[in-house]
Amino acid sequence: MVKRETVTGLARRMLPDARLARLQDLQLLDAGHGYDPFGANREWIGFGAGLMRFLYEKWFRVTSHDAHHVPSSGAAILASNHSGTLPYDATMIWSDVLEHTSPPRLVRPVMDHFVPLLPIVGTFFARAGGVGGSRGNVRALLEAGELLLIFPEGTVGIGKPFRERYQLQRFRVGHAELAIRHRAPVVPVAVVGAEEQMPQLTRIQAGAKLFGAPYIPIPATLLPLPVHYHIYYGAPLNLHEDYRPEQADEPAVVREAADRVQAAVAGLITRGLEEREGVFR
Amino acid sequence: MTRVMITGATTPIGASFVRRLAFDDAIEQVLALGLESDPGPELLELPKVVYRQIDLTRGRSLRDLLFTDVKQLGIEAVVHTAHHRRATDEGPRIHRLNVGVTRELMQLCQHHPTVRRFVHRSHGAVYKVKADQPAVIGEDHPLNLGPSTPQWIRDRVEADLMVCSQMGMCPMKVVVLRCAEVLAPRSGSQLYDYVSSRVCMRPLGYDPMINLLSLDDQVEALYRALVTEDAQGVFNIPGRDTLPLSELIHMMGRPDVPMPGVLLSPLYRLRGRLERREFRYDMNHWRFHFSGVLDGRRAKAVLGYEPSHPLRPTELAVHWHMGEDTIDLMRQQ
Repeated sequence: MVKRETVTGLARRMLPDARLARLQDLQLLDAGHGYDPFGANREWIGFGAGLMRFLYEKWFRVTSHDAHHVPSSGAAILASNHSGTLPYDATMIWSDVLEHTSPPRLVRPVMDHFVPLLPIVGTFFARAGGVGGSRGNVRALLEAGELLLIFPEGTVGIGKPFRERYQLQRFRVGHAELAIRHRAPVVPVAVVGAEEQMPQLTRIQAGAKLFGAPYIPIPATLLPLPVHYHIYYGAPLNLHEDYRPEQADEPAVVREAADRVQAAVAGLITRGLEEREGVFR
Repeated sequence: MTRVMITGATTPIGASFVRRLAFDDAIEQVLALGLESDPGPELLELPKVVYRQIDLTRGRSLRDLLFTDVKQLGIEAVVHTAHHRRATDEGPRIHRLNVGVTRELMQLCQHHPTVRRFVHRSHGAVYKVKADQPAVIGEDHPLNLGPSTPQWIRDRVEADLMVCSQMGMCPMKVVVLRCAEVLAPRSGSQLYDYVSSRVCMRPLGYDPMINLLSLDDQVEALYRALVTEDAQGVFNIPGRDTLPLSELIHMMGRPDVPMPGVLLSPLYRLRGRLERREFRYDMNHWRFHFSGVLDGRRAKAVLGYEPSHPLRPTELAVHWHMGEDTIDLMRQQ
């Protein structure tokens, strides 16, 4: 990978001094050499924030709503809708939370198992805080009081056809189980705009297995359309106040809890669609 | 436990541990076992230390030792650190030392009149490191027992599991320490051999997190396992240094050369043959792609072990006959 000094230099060029200084307050566990055990690193996060700045400010012109719902400390789970063929929604939530929390909090996006298999991309995501979606990883992060970003729709959500935009796929239950077991609040998140960013023409199965992906998407546009992103955060759902930790093993309980989270995200999407003035405005 | 027997006492890890015990007021007697007939004055002249030369693979010799010297000295605890170190050596003789000796020693200790504790030094390499597995490795992490797993690892997994199977089944307290790699010469460290090469090649596009244990922390972990009353179970022993592979290469002052992964196996195989080096890329393939860092929370909670000694690259570099300029530069860093 690129040397840390180079990364620091690039971050300085891409970010204003004030933002760079803010990143010094970032809460990040240092396992001894400036990296946390999963590979996240402050300099790389600065570099990532610099890279995303153009997309966040100019291209998608992200508007953030109610970011005060993101807990300022302690374990929590952001549960969001997932869409847009490529995961720009994850990077925009990552940037948005970094921008709107004080001191800044690092979101740890939980990635599908195939992402760490991807050369360069997998490493870059790890440096910026991403983790492979194994049970052990998320457990360790929640126990360390980290802020997770989970897309309960999974790859089905990001790969759904354009005609099904803003129709949530049924949420998986893993995030609800984790929230109940680890007593972590779930913050529902809705991303409005991403569903129109990159209509998918088709998907190819052949070759995807080489790197463990379920398919290779073929988008209608090479670049994402400059849609206007709106990110809505809902009031935290304290599932752990309604369920005991041992109930995390009960299928009916976690299903019910996941449905509650899905309903909260759906409500935020409805609000976002009503409030926005257009796809690009 | 004040009377201790240590196998593998002439290895860097064993010798350091013997030294630590020799100067510990709470320890009365140390029985050090090694293959060498003359372990040198560093070991022989230590207070409280009795050295015995023994080939552990000879069952009769081991049995005789256990029921003569060990019994007479009233040894209460056995610390087993003897494993074959060179990863390039394979075959039934190596398996006999790595697994057979562990089994036999364990069996003999179970009905021994004085031994009450058995500490087995296992290795973090027993864990499977893959993309779909957690990067932070707990004691319940899947083990590396695939059909293509090299013998060096397979033997360690087998010995580890065999010792684990006796926990709670025998009158002794059994402790298994799954230790991170000790980056030290002559300790069987794959990464030590890797970073002592002139150029360090690694897979392009991957930079996994690794964890390394210093000799001082290794000794401390063994000591804690020995003296913690009633401690029993499996414990991960991580080191103080958790860093990406590229940072380690940089720290050691070596050129870092990322290359397409498919080229690395043949290149390192060729290097191994030409220079008779120990590093095997096939053995390290997965951990050169995906992170694997030991989670030491259980060891901290039960044994009170916490890594506190970082690696000292300047001391390691001396072994490679590096130029003084390089060493000065590293000291400044």
